Amino acid sequence: MNGVIQWFAECFSDAAILSAIKVTFQMAVFSCLISSVLGIGLGLVLERFDFPGKRLVIRLNRTLMGMPPVVAGLIVYLLLMRRGPLGSLGWLFTIKGMVAAQALIITPIMTGMVHQYACSKAPAVREFCRTMGASKHQTAMTILKEMRHDIYFCVVTAFGRSISEVGSVMLVGGNIKGRTRTMTTAISLLKSQGIFTEGIALGMVLLVMAFIIQWLGDALKREEDGHENY
Amino acid sequence: MKITDLKVSAGAFSLSVPSAEFAPGKIHGITGHNGSGKTILLKTIMGIMTPSSGEIDYEGLTVQEVTLMIQRPYLLHGSVYENLVYPLKLRGIDPKAPEVADEIDRLLDRVGLLPLKNQYARSLSSGERQKLSFLRAIIFKPKFIMMDETLSNMDPESEAQILGLIREIQEKNPVTWLIVNHQLEQKENLCDEIHRMEKGRYCGIIKG
Repeated sequence: MNGVIQWFAECFSDAAILSAIKVTFQMAVFSCLISSVLGIGLGLVLERFDFPGKRLVIRLNRTLMGMPPVVAGLIVYLLLMRRGPLGSLGWLFTIKGMVAAQALIITPIMTGMVHQYACSKAPAVREFCRTMGASKHQTAMTILKEMRHDIYFCVVTAFGRSISEVGSVMLVGGNIKGRTRTMTTAISLLKSQGIFTEGIALGMVLLVMAFIIQWLGDALKREEDGHENY
Repeated sequence: MKITDLKVSAGAFSLSVPSAEFAPGKIHGITGHNGSGKTILLKTIMGIMTPSSGEIDYEGLTVQEVTLMIQRPYLLHGSVYENLVYPLKLRGIDPKAPEVADEIDRLLDRVGLLPLKNQYARSLSSGERQKLSFLRAIIFKPKFIMMDETLSNMDPESEAQILGLIREIQEKNPVTWLIVNHQLEQKENLCDEIHRMEKGRYCGIIKG
């Protein structure tokens, strides 16, 4: 037991490993934040308003939900490269660029999930609010409040997706040690170098994080379902 | 409230109300078989469904003064108490004010829900849900109250509690009631007028 603890202590005293954990968290938190704002807003708008081409927008979003991360990475890379349309930002091989790539992957997932939950819940809440004499603003607030568990579940899912991503962050971030190396890209590199111990340590940290995130999401769904009595 | 030449379409179903009048301060029952359009009429009056033609004259009533207890009540995430105070909070009424808090407890006690005040509302039984929905609809003192089969899922004791509250309101400060129930003929004593609907058409008053 002491040997395992010592092994972990040695692994996590390595500055490169600590940096990878820090970069992963930074990237996941910011991309999740941006995707949440965009995805929740778009998902609710898609449920609430009818407009020409709405079905096409929903289908396109569903297509983007399954977009391979490496494709998103390539698109962002082409946009951010020095001669690209957004090259002047200087975001290539930075955490900002990685956040942009992650946001491109996660936002459609958030939008699709929030839209789906809103379609199943918002009409009943809206009808109820009408019977209570609520204003439009009060109705919108009630819908958000009633969907809070669903929205939190979406955010947790998005965060889980963000920390586990490799392809796009490798392309856009460049896997630069101490700057853009995340846990997943570090594992990939360590494996190619035949260094398995640190790779396993990082993998275990990722697994623990994934477990905590999924457990949180699951607990929320259980709390909601467990109280029902029909 | 007066309804003139009202037509509402809902998929293949259409509702037609050539002329109907619901006198204020009275209890109006609406009866008819399943699928006769009773619920659609109530939802249209509530503004949940939009008529394709016709007119509803609310005679000065505002949206905040009309309410509808839907057949399967929506309960908010939260306790029985949180559900009950929701319409009060919408109107800026402090539910913790002594006279409001006393009234909440009194009403909950009248229908036997006081011991369940802090219980999660969605864990209530079907009949208890209907009682909570009823209290939530009357707590903010609307002037036009519609009930869609609210009494149907209740046991005789619960039904007596609700009817008692309706009579109490009518004695103190009469409001207009529109009560939909497919067995309304058995509750003739309750209603001042009974209106009949058949196959998507309002047929007029059969008792009153």
